[in-house]
Amino acid sequence: MNHGGDIPVSFFTCDVAPQRLFTHLGAEALRDFAAIQNVQEVPKGALLFSEGQAPTALVLLQTGGARLSVCSSRGEKLTLRMAKAGELLGLSANVSGKPHEVTAETTVPSQIVFIKRKDFVRFLKDHSDACMQVVQMLSNDVHAAYDRVRAIGMARARHVRN
Amino acid sequence: MLSPYGLEIIESCLTCKLREDRLFCNLSPAAVKDLEAIKYSTAYPKGAVLFVEGQAPRGVFILCKGRTKLSICSSDGKTLILKIAEPGEVLGLSATVSGKPYELTAETLDPCQVNFVKREDFLRYLRDHNEVTLRVAEQLSDKYNTACHEIHSLGLSHSAAEKLAKLLLEWSEKNGDAKQPGRMKLALTHEEIAQMIGTSRETVTRLFADFKKRQIIQLKGSTLVIRNRQALETLINP
Repeated sequence: MNHGGDIPVSFFTCDVAPQRLFTHLGAEALRDFAAIQNVQEVPKGALLFSEGQAPTALVLLQTGGARLSVCSSRGEKLTLRMAKAGELLGLSANVSGKPHEVTAETTVPSQIVFIKRKDFVRFLKDHSDACMQVVQMLSNDVHAAYDRVRAIGMARARHVRN
Repeated sequence: MLSPYGLEIIESCLTCKLREDRLFCNLSPAAVKDLEAIKYSTAYPKGAVLFVEGQAPRGVFILCKGRTKLSICSSDGKTLILKIAEPGEVLGLSATVSGKPYELTAETLDPCQVNFVKREDFLRYLRDHNEVTLRVAEQLSDKYNTACHEIHSLGLSHSAAEKLAKLLLEWSEKNGDAKQPGRMKLALTHEEIAQMIGTSRETVTRLFADFKKRQIIQLKGSTLVIRNRQALETLINP
């Protein structure tokens, strides 16, 4: 079902190669990566995964966009950032096996590639260059998250005093 | 071997008895042997700064013994403690991998033994050992998890009382006495606790006094006992 986005058939053959994902892998690794993908089109507002949910699959946002947020027990939502086409979502939870730290929800009709966690972990074990790139991506995610902590934490330290 | 700080130094990763219990260090013999060849083992006193936020990454610091405070600082001198790192953690990891400046300051809270690995040696080591790269990915995932948790706590908590209640419950789960639930040693000063929840030292002191008065907690020296867990939970989820 097409929800209105421009849909490349496969990540492997996609002309608009996602910027952050596995750009320097060999042909064999790219072929193996293509083999574990499951492409789906989802509408605006689709919940890709929720905070606290056990990770079952990695999500590659092939086209479209998604909001990453955290939610309080009172139901208040804090948007962490807007993810763009080409980003891998749920990476840290799928690597560690711990529950998702954030909720991801599409903001426009999007094409999503789901990669089952067990397939992804096996892929990383088989392809050391892909594993190295995942480490790079996670490092960037950690940097971005600490920047957000700095922005929120320092603002709150100034204004919330009781 | 004893060091000047009273630490029992672990001389070699190959003979380290604690290795199997630690997420990063529990590697294959070949990987441990190669790590042994590139690491520099050092003992630090309490209060030593391992690296500073904004500094170009020199390498990673594998914490073998002791605890280290990880914090960020604003331009007007305010400090926010993100985490107290425990033995087995690798510090400076994301900066070393990405080549971006260290995003935190690491300062020892106790005398510590630290294995330092230079950046270029560490990156070569990762390329040679995929199992270590996977282990590093797990550690980075944990760090991302911690940062998200901190964002959640700072961005969505309404009051300092709520944040202190959350912190006490977390500590009780993580560091509590297994035989006496709710009892724990307070290892941080009120100033440091304030820096962990983004408030002032005065507010933390006032909140502790209030919690004691309402018989939610009991403080005997540095031992804290949670007497009314439900009251703390109500502060978080009214």
